Amino acid sequence: MNHPYSNYYEFSSLFHGSLLSIMGTRFDILFVIENKEIGEALWDNIQTELIRLDKLFNRFDTESEVSQINSSAFLSPYIVSSEMWDILLSCKKYHQQTYGLFDITLQNLNRVLLNIKDKSIIFVDKDLHIDFGGYAKGYAIDKIKNILIENNVQNSLVNFGNSSILALGKHPYGDCWSIGIENPYQKGEMLGEYKLKDEALSTSGNMPSNSKHLVNPFTGKFNEEKKMVSIITKDSTDAEVLSTSLMIAQIEKREEILHHFNTSKIFVYNL
Amino acid sequence: MSPSNKNDQLDLGLRKFIKDLGYIAGGSVLLASTPWLQSCTPEKLEEIKGQKARIAFIGTGSRGVYHIHNLLNIPHAEIVALCDNYPPNLKTASDLCPKAKTYTDYKKMLESKDIDGVIISTPLNWHAPMVLDSLAAGKHTFCEKAMALTMDECKSIYDSYQKTNKVLYFGMQRLFDEKYIKALQMIHSGLIGDIVGMRCHWFRNNDWRRPVPSPELERKINWRLYKESSAGLMTELATHQLEVSNWAMKRIPDSVIGMGDIVFWKDGREVNDSISLTYHYKNNVKTTYETLISNKFNGMGEQVLGNKGTMELAKGQYFFEDAEPAPAILQLINQMESKAFSTVPIAGPSWVPEIATQHKPHYVIDGPISINPGISTTGVDKDGSDLLLSAFCQASITGEKAKNIVEECYCSTVLCLMGNQAIEQQKKIDFPEKYKIPYLNF
Repeated sequence: MNHPYSNYYEFSSLFHGSLLSIMGTRFDILFVIENKEIGEALWDNIQTELIRLDKLFNRFDTESEVSQINSSAFLSPYIVSSEMWDILLSCKKYHQQTYGLFDITLQNLNRVLLNIKDKSIIFVDKDLHIDFGGYAKGYAIDKIKNILIENNVQNSLVNFGNSSILALGKHPYGDCWSIGIENPYQKGEMLGEYKLKDEALSTSGNMPSNSKHLVNPFTGKFNEEKKMVSIITKDSTDAEVLSTSLMIAQIEKREEILHHFNTSKIFVYNL
Repeated sequence: MSPSNKNDQLDLGLRKFIKDLGYIAGGSVLLASTPWLQSCTPEKLEEIKGQKARIAFIGTGSRGVYHIHNLLNIPHAEIVALCDNYPPNLKTASDLCPKAKTYTDYKKMLESKDIDGVIISTPLNWHAPMVLDSLAAGKHTFCEKAMALTMDECKSIYDSYQKTNKVLYFGMQRLFDEKYIKALQMIHSGLIGDIVGMRCHWFRNNDWRRPVPSPELERKINWRLYKESSAGLMTELATHQLEVSNWAMKRIPDSVIGMGDIVFWKDGREVNDSISLTYHYKNNVKTTYETLISNKFNGMGEQVLGNKGTMELAKGQYFFEDAEPAPAILQLINQMESKAFSTVPIAGPSWVPEIATQHKPHYVIDGPISINPGISTTGVDKDGSDLLLSAFCQASITGEKAKNIVEECYCSTVLCLMGNQAIEQQKKIDFPEKYKIPYLNF
């Protein structure tokens, strides 16, 4: 169950949609739309897309495409869908742009071969598997953004588990969306606020309750630093990839990585 | 602190929430949804600074004295006259306001030129004659709820009010209770989705009797128990709750069915001690109304049931049906509904999901909330009664009528009387054509 919730606030023409359990976290969207019925139809589209993507990326669901790849691709080419093909190519590109720090195998993406002729994938090592944890939410938000734009939504705030945020247009009574960031180690302490307009924000970091979720592919070890990295870019997938990569990157490597991306703002908090 | 300072503080406190409504950008929109508050804004109070309304009381029993206590704290009013035909009650009131002139005949008192406003807290059968006489005497008038004992009397009051230029208030204090005002705004903004039902109840466990010094005073003192002077629990309790039900629904029920009996207090009283009614709205939403005075377990409450959540008006709490909107997102939505813009603290490392706790309460007002447990038969603090009275005193100076109060009281009183008809006639009662007024929206 995704625990869907939605409501329309007529006074401010505001639609709120929420899925409490999707891609391992919760999803909230606010968008301004004149008509409740149009809002509901749009929310249906968005839910359908999110559920589809959850199915595509969920490696704990044996029927998902990623599960099929993980269970079949060792030494035997597995032909992927055209969408998965594009995703794998983009992950390869991000792997290069981040000097190997962004790695969907969490070990060595170079041991995954992609065959352009039949759009197939092969794992060269037995223990390989792919995990889109540091990618999927950004990708999903970019998809949702397209749906919003196609439907002429100008102002919307999308929050995917707090770590991935899209600010489309502006708050109806402000000139941007103003997003505050809290110290995960000190409840109530605000570290800063970001004024976002047509931008994506991705935050990566450890929390007291969850400090073993970021793996350095070069060492195979968890990054457990009391640190948090926030990235603001136009593109949600870029932001997602960058926040994870820069969380584990050496300071001197950061600039080099950022060089490959457009107009990114980076905030590093040592907590 | 000097007494006058204390009074100022109190009144400022009472009006703070109206100020809050007005200070939020677009507050005029919020005030527009509570039009009866437009005549008592802090700005308008400032305009009459230093002036005092000269107030007279008709009826100085328990509710009258409750109002006297509230009025003594209102800087823009002074009590100049008191009237009661029961000497012990008149003495109690006179001890509280020794400067006030005392009367035993209200008509004599109404002849006085030195009275701006009259406050009536008498048995229900006296409401209509006293209100009509008071308006006819050119006095601004405040009368306790319910409006009157019969539908004809209600209609006479309503018709007189259409012709007079005097102010008329009724004791519908929920209209002035901050937690109700905010909760109703939240309901109307869509917080709990579409309203699909309402449950109102008021349960007490006492005989509703007052001690009688000698038997011939029984009907005078225990007027609530006899049909010549009272319409029972409906007009004494249900008026408030049906008014709130209509406020939430933004419409009036078209019919009622139900039952009522004397179940426990078989002591010679004529009015029921147990009532169960169902009011039907044209959109098929129903309000159930239950009252019983021989079991108090359920207390007093008004629940607005929405397809997405439930608002417990009397407690100032609300609950969501399934998924809980994230607090920060809810905060952002509430801001937008008030046309406000500020930072929303949502960014951080990935949120680890937790399954929503079912039926966790959320509060309409931050900080302490004043809840009426429904036990007192006189009145409680901070339930809006003090601000209502303050607004009436202000109106007795400015002469500015308050929108909707008379109409709201008219509707809820007629609905209460319809409930009693449904019980007596054991059939469905439709809202009588004869008593429909233009204000009604079915």
